[in-house]
Amino acid sequence: MSRLTYVAKRFLLAIPVVWLGTTMTWFIIFMGPIDPATRLLSQGQTRNPAAYRAAQEQLGLNTPPLEHYLEYMTNLLTFDLGQTFLLYQGSSVNALILDFLPRTLWLGFWSVLIAVLIGVPLGFYAGMRSNTVADYLASFGGIVWRAMPNFWLAIMLLALLGSLQGMIGVSWQQFLVPIDAISGSPDMSRIGTVDGFLAATKKVLPAAIVLGSASMGNEMRIGRTAVLEVRNEDFVDMAKAKGVSDRALVWKHVLRNALVPLVPIITSEAFLLIGGSVLVETVFGINGIGWLFYRAAIQGDLPLVGTLMYVFILMIVGINLIQDLLYTVIDPRVGLEGA
Amino acid sequence: MSDAEPLLAVEDLRTVFHTDREEIHAVDGVSFEIRAGETVGLVGESGSGKSVTARSILGLVDSPGAIEEGSIRYRGEELTDDSWDRHRGDIAIVFQDPGSALNPVYTVGNQIREALKIHQDLRGAAARDRAVELLEDVGIPDAATRVGEYPHQLSGGMQQRAVIAMALACDPDLLVCDEPTTALDVTIQAQILDLLAELQREEDLAILFITHDMGVIEDATDRVNVIYAGEVVERAPTDALFENPQHPYTRALLRSIPGRTPPDETLPTIEGEVPTPTGPATVCRFAPRCPDAFGACVEVHPDQQDVSEGGDDRSAACLLHDDRYPNEMGTGDGTDGGGPDERSVAAAAENTNYGAVDHGGAPPETGVAGDVNGQGAAGGVDDVGDEGGGEI
Amino acid sequence: MAGATSDRERASTVRPTGSTALVWAGAGVALFALEAGALATFLTGMVADLFAFVPPLGPAQPAVATLAEWANAAQSAAREVPTLLSRETIPNGGYWNGRRWVGTFLGLEPALAWAVRVALVYGYAFACAGWAILGYRLYRREIRPTDWSPRDDVVDRFRSHTWGKFGLLVVFMFVVMAVFAPALGPTTVEQNMRESYSHEFSYWNSDAGEVQTTLVGQANLQSQSTGTSSRVMPFTYDDYNRYHPFGTLPTGRDLFTFIATGSRISLIIGVLSVGLSALLAASLALVAAYYRGRVDLGMVLLSDAVMAMPQLLLLIMLTQVLAETWIGGIYSGAFVLALIFAGTGWTYMWRSVRGPALQVAQRQWVDAARSFGQKPRVIMRRHMLPYITGYLLIYGSMTLGGAIIAIAGLSFLGLGVSPPTPEWGRAINLGQDYVTTGSWHISLIPGLLITIVVTGFNALGDGVRDAIDPQSDSAGGAAAGRGGGA
Repeated sequence: MSRLTYVAKRFLLAIPVVWLGTTMTWFIIFMGPIDPATRLLSQGQTRNPAAYRAAQEQLGLNTPPLEHYLEYMTNLLTFDLGQTFLLYQGSSVNALILDFLPRTLWLGFWSVLIAVLIGVPLGFYAGMRSNTVADYLASFGGIVWRAMPNFWLAIMLLALLGSLQGMIGVSWQQFLVPIDAISGSPDMSRIGTVDGFLAATKKVLPAAIVLGSASMGNEMRIGRTAVLEVRNEDFVDMAKAKGVSDRALVWKHVLRNALVPLVPIITSEAFLLIGGSVLVETVFGINGIGWLFYRAAIQGDLPLVGTLMYVFILMIVGINLIQDLLYTVIDPRVGLEGA
Repeated sequence: MSDAEPLLAVEDLRTVFHTDREEIHAVDGVSFEIRAGETVGLVGESGSGKSVTARSILGLVDSPGAIEEGSIRYRGEELTDDSWDRHRGDIAIVFQDPGSALNPVYTVGNQIREALKIHQDLRGAAARDRAVELLEDVGIPDAATRVGEYPHQLSGGMQQRAVIAMALACDPDLLVCDEPTTALDVTIQAQILDLLAELQREEDLAILFITHDMGVIEDATDRVNVIYAGEVVERAPTDALFENPQHPYTRALLRSIPGRTPPDETLPTIEGEVPTPTGPATVCRFAPRCPDAFGACVEVHPDQQDVSEGGDDRSAACLLHDDRYPNEMGTGDGTDGGGPDERSVAAAAENTNYGAVDHGGAPPETGVAGDVNGQGAAGGVDDVGDEGGGEI
Repeated sequence: MAGATSDRERASTVRPTGSTALVWAGAGVALFALEAGALATFLTGMVADLFAFVPPLGPAQPAVATLAEWANAAQSAAREVPTLLSRETIPNGGYWNGRRWVGTFLGLEPALAWAVRVALVYGYAFACAGWAILGYRLYRREIRPTDWSPRDDVVDRFRSHTWGKFGLLVVFMFVVMAVFAPALGPTTVEQNMRESYSHEFSYWNSDAGEVQTTLVGQANLQSQSTGTSSRVMPFTYDDYNRYHPFGTLPTGRDLFTFIATGSRISLIIGVLSVGLSALLAASLALVAAYYRGRVDLGMVLLSDAVMAMPQLLLLIMLTQVLAETWIGGIYSGAFVLALIFAGTGWTYMWRSVRGPALQVAQRQWVDAARSFGQKPRVIMRRHMLPYITGYLLIYGSMTLGGAIIAIAGLSFLGLGVSPPTPEWGRAINLGQDYVTTGSWHISLIPGLLITIVVTGFNALGDGVRDAIDPQSDSAGGAAAGRGGGA
């Protein structure tokens, strides 16, 4: 099938996935052992029947389940997300999301970028110089790095940056681009300007390194294997016999083919990133959507939790689609055997 | 034959692979010559070292293997001291599996143009046009469309043609074909062979034809080198070889071609497998399987003996032709001579590895215990236009 | 090759002459006897817990109560049996009486006594492992009628895989730590943490020049590690001459005991969840592979949908939702954690064994079985399952690493295992404010341990994979071990 058909098919498959995921979420929250209304009310209020009824009404819990479900799904689909109950009480959920989401996206973007920009070349380097000391060191480093819990790494890194001044006399805050504090949310409002862009990047950089560290090791490993396999292919010998320069041999022939198995890895790491962002955001004090989810869950604002889960589902499915798109660009053979 | 300087002169080539477990002497003292415009065949079973020879000539041998001794001279210039870069394009190669010889993520045209840019300094529209021309030259219909397609969109036969076009784009003097038709089906085989013959005539190409298929050798080559376990055991003009083989191995090979045996007789085979040489040769490697082996065969290494007759330039590495070691068994024509005995097998077992061995670092061909029938069965069949069977 | 024929002749019908096997069996009995008491205590304890836990069953109530009583009595009796590796036999919690150490093993100082006990524990564990390996070798060489089986190749390949062996070593030591946790720590969770104000101990008060007693809880208050000025570092004694191999927590409690006990929870949750995941993933994969078509498509959709929800977030959501149910009470939430983890993590393993399952389903012996009317369930169990167990092992060990990190992450957030049950993530959380101070050990040590253990599991998975399928892509696709991202 043509590549376009392939992408269209993947897109169509994505829809039931979103539907199923959201349904499961709804089920857990509204049909689960907890009464969302009780959770919303504070200790004192739970005894108050009027307050309880009002909460129920707000959540739509006094309507029959099916009706509630349909209305819930429609609301989500049209992004009519209502207002919050507990967290930042009374604010529009839409506005809340629009405020918090960009920070997480920014963090995620840089995490993936760093993981790819460091992990992949390292892997390629190890693959081209396989079985040398450099290879073993790089591989071992990648393995250990991958086994570190990211929240622990976050704490260590934060401590390191904080004590940089004491150790080598350079303050991380003032280094190159000045930022207001070592941790905290990046200022997304000034992204458009060069200054703002740099500042926001620097602010999120340590968190991005931590978040990307898990995938970095993975990409390194797979890049290495990919390079090793491609190097042994006949067409590389063929190109060499044709007289292609060593550099072109590596870049045009080896690496381009080695990228093919990497694409699904890169994007599947994005899933981990999104989930793992909760921990990193908490440690670094970045008020992103992961952190919001965590606060909402702890405080019992279950409807918000459900809505945020829906947002996450959309993000992940979206990334999947991007991956499929990338695949068709990188590998012309795609669509031959079907997914 | 002509006295002109040979285009390619391989002398005592030794290529060794150093794996964790052992050393594999895949090519162990191979010598032959190719003159301009002639087609030379290199024939042997799987595991005999043919592909490694081809890769050595092209300078494509990578660790854990390396050319350790010998010389490869192209037009008099030594290649083994890393001079391949200067001669890229003068010698081109066509591999066995066209599907893996083409880079799957670039179009066929792109890969041809790559060669054109390096060797003929063509770019842009000129390169595109020339690429289409080349594809037409190799007989691909609708070349203008094909040039923009990816390898996986072409059939096996067309892929091989494209590979040949890519090789031609380098404007080579010598084309090394490593089993170019083995992976293709029989009807396509014939077409590719015809194509190669035609190209040779038009471009005055020399061809080194590597195969295990005796029938192809018979039809397509002028001279033949028979290779066994990393050594050339016989060399002769093709007609002379088929008419009157001088080495027991060659004789056995020819006997095992299906067409040559009367239909009601059992097809003769060569018992055993090609050994994998793990050390320099100290005895005759074929002795354990040789029907004409005698005592000296497992004690001394046979040198090339000149067995020329008439004006032919022939040689065979066999003690039967070496006057220093008279044959105790008497006859040397080998059909019903005594078989190898236990003593010769045991003695010959040093420095060679009998039986299937798992070779991690060696190229895929080495170490695959080939069945002689496998190669014999393909030869002598009508596809190459022979009458098949009986005398030539 | 030449020796093969003679071996074959030798091993065909010979049963063990007895001597080697008897010696081996004898050694086993000896090893067992050393720790028989501990094993009995553990088993009876488990039974007692089970009975104590079973919700009231109405008419059966009195019967259950008596059974529980019996179990408890049995446990107390078992406790009396002396075992080698217990705190009673090799105590390290003595005191200095001005001239010498009283109450410690052989009068050694507590640090040495503790070290002796730890060395003995690990020595015993390695002895048991060695005994098992020798038994296997014995079996393979002399008892087993077949000379060679395909599994032998797998074992041999693993034997020469250094990285895999390293992983096995690390995992083994981790498991030993979890199993022997009560014996390994310098003190116990009960004494030091849970009931610290109900336990007294004696110590040498150097100011007063005499032996005094105090409550553990009080002593803890004086041994807190909060920054640079007041801290108890690893491998030091506190003011009460109690030895702390890993130092103390900000609450003054012993970090080593905390970690050793925490390893239990991590291991239990990890193994439980991976086991459940494997069960789920294997069943679904086999069913999907056997029926193919729409069933497969449906499974793909289901797993995609579950994977579309980030696992950590699902964990958070579900722990909150299930926290107050009766399941959430089991083992301080560990059980429900394992369930949730299995329920959300099966997709990864399913994805990984789906390939091999599909391949097996296409084999001709499956068709053959189908053709003579064999029931699908039996086909799946007998003809398909054995071929994917290898892959389950590989991906299971890699998922374990991820599970440990995820659980630690949840505890770090305060969501996972509820206090006071120790868990490594919580230790990291407790210490995070002191990382830049003198009490950096609190966060550093658990983090390092997690890294080492996860690396070990990943290495083990690598080793098993290379042993089972040496040609497989050593980092193929989804196969790469779970990383630090929770």
